[in-house]
Amino acid sequence: MNQQPAAQLATQITLDITWHYSATEAMSRFLAGLRERRIEALRCDGCGRRYLPPRPFCGRCCLRMHNWVPVADMGTIEAWTVVHVPVLDSRTGAPRPLPYGMALIRLDGADTTLNHYLDETDPAELCIGARVRAVWRDEVVGAMDDISHFEVLR
Amino acid sequence: MAGTGVSGPLAVDTRSIPEMVLAAAEAALADAQTDFGNIDAVVTASVDLHDGLTASNIAVTEVVGAVMKPETRIAGDGLAAAAHAACQIWAGAYGTVLVVAHGKASMADQDSVEQWAWDPITIQPLGVGFTVAAGLQARAVMGEGDPEAALSRWATVASRRWQAVGVGSRPEDVLASPVTAAPLRALMAAPAADAAYAVVLTGEPQRRGPVLKGVGYDLDTHAPGDRDLASWAGLGRAFARACRVAGSDTGAAFDIVEASCRYPHEEELVAAAVPALADSDVAPSGGLYRGVAPVAAGLGRLVDTVDALRSGPPARALAHGTWGPAGQAHAVAILESAP
Repeated sequence: MNQQPAAQLATQITLDITWHYSATEAMSRFLAGLRERRIEALRCDGCGRRYLPPRPFCGRCCLRMHNWVPVADMGTIEAWTVVHVPVLDSRTGAPRPLPYGMALIRLDGADTTLNHYLDETDPAELCIGARVRAVWRDEVVGAMDDISHFEVLR
Repeated sequence: MAGTGVSGPLAVDTRSIPEMVLAAAEAALADAQTDFGNIDAVVTASVDLHDGLTASNIAVTEVVGAVMKPETRIAGDGLAAAAHAACQIWAGAYGTVLVVAHGKASMADQDSVEQWAWDPITIQPLGVGFTVAAGLQARAVMGEGDPEAALSRWATVASRRWQAVGVGSRPEDVLASPVTAAPLRALMAAPAADAAYAVVLTGEPQRRGPVLKGVGYDLDTHAPGDRDLASWAGLGRAFARACRVAGSDTGAAFDIVEASCRYPHEEELVAAAVPALADSDVAPSGGLYRGVAPVAAGLGRLVDTVDALRSGPPARALAHGTWGPAGQAHAVAILESAP
């Protein structure tokens, strides 16, 4: 990198604002389903793709989606990593214990994948194609982390 | 391509964004032997999230000479901004356009900032950053192949890029560096940096400026779970569009290539997406390993390409920029030496 210019004063700003995101009708139904430990995807009438997480519009076909299809809470790992860089839990602001497993998971009945945690952090025990099952929290509130993580099935 | 200007990259630039941008803009204008008065329009690239404020209109408009002029703001890589400027000129809307991009990674923790770039309902609560996305992508690229062979190959590539920018990291150093998001190691990643880049594009004939022949860009779905992570198909589409504009064959070879690859596995994605580049060295200058300024780096690749065309024999060149997680979006520019 290049030569450092003369130092200047820096002002530290902490932004403390709460945003209220509208979840969309589709996501609202999806999250309500999680409260009942039920997972649903939206299927596009054009390409037949079953989107999970659901969204109201298929970006490939430019069509609104209305057809809900059930999805299992078991699936297959499509990509995985074991993370060693510090990450803050966006709900609590607390650092997440390291390392942790993270995967893209294609649930049975869906054509797209979900990001979620894995219970496994040993790379030797992970592979693309491995089967996983959702581990639900005891108390579900209608949020993505109603699923605590996915356990790798052996 | 009438002129180029650079400010950085630096690991930490203690100057303000307006000062960084002004330095790059003034350098580009001086290189083009012109001044703000001859600029018809401005295209700027920046992302509010990285800047911590409404980026372009607060920090940049005055120092790019855009007060009471048409400024187009691109929330993407600076190479996409250059593509917009070229289209404005080709459409006959403006004669000379200044393009500026800036990124200041040192302002805040990048992994924390990048968490905010994801869907707030489904991914943000998981604390995913772009490093995690890169790890998932590297694993997808690795596929069912031999992991040790892939790691060895990537360590060699990263070492070569480090050497090109004067850092003596050997492949064994790369492999021994800490795991960030498996299978990626810390020294496989090009470092985050602060930088601003500027170029002056004009429809007027230039004696020494290379000619921008074609541009193209492409945005895939944001969620990495909606696309094939083991492919940069969007780069292939952007490249095909640039070739159509340039009137060139997609199979024609390039003498100079400057791709935006932050990780070595991304070079394999480039080669797969654009077969014409399969045998090319895609970052002869070291590329992003000099420092990656968020959403500015692609314009830096264009600047390096212009410099190489100016200093070497007649040649055909390609510059590439990317932004978004795991290569969501790509921009391509095809250039030729001045006639």
